Amino acid sequence: MAPTPITNTIRQLRFQHGEMTQQELGKRVGVTRQTLNAIEAGKYSPSLEVAFRIAKVFGVRVDEVFHFGPEK
Amino acid sequence: MSFREKTAWVTLCAIVIVTLMYWFHIGSLFEPHSPGRVAHSLGASLVAFLLIELVAYFVLRLRNPEDAGEPKDERERLIDLKAMRIAYYVFVVCALLGIFVALHVVNAGAGAVATTVMLAYMAAEVVRHSARIVFYRRGV
Repeated sequence: MAPTPITNTIRQLRFQHGEMTQQELGKRVGVTRQTLNAIEAGKYSPSLEVAFRIAKVFGVRVDEVFHFGPEK
Repeated sequence: MSFREKTAWVTLCAIVIVTLMYWFHIGSLFEPHSPGRVAHSLGASLVAFLLIELVAYFVLRLRNPEDAGEPKDERERLIDLKAMRIAYYVFVVCALLGIFVALHVVNAGAGAVATTVMLAYMAAEVVRHSARIVFYRRGV
């Protein structure tokens, strides 16, 4: 599968927030650890709702977490 | 590997094993079979499939109690839907081709048509669970 054009800063944000684990973030967002791992790795673009939930956990705006990269 | 990916592997293996057992037992697709023999083979295959699934599911659940208790999230639901869509096309194409071959090429009876449709269903299930595994591994 081609990686999505959406990049994210979830990994950095997790480490800035007390080295939060994927498991913990996934639980707070309502997705599995595997899904969060896929989002971080750019293998899955989350729904708008999940994107907002992730941003809310870190207390930042959605566009500070997700960035739309150049289209190929 | 996630709990659901493991269950996809288990179901895929169970389908392949049981289907092979069935075909080994029933013999050639287009040979006339007595209804009793077909029903016996089908029943035995179904029981074998359920047994494999149940035992494997409980073993996996005991080994991954946290993952097993979690409801499916949006990615897992999307994977299921995409895999189902691919399997649907496989089922339709295989069933139609099989029926055409059974009726117009080898002039087989209604029993062979029913067996062909069941074979198409098995092929679709194999494709569905294979697709789930691919989507879990490579992304969706």
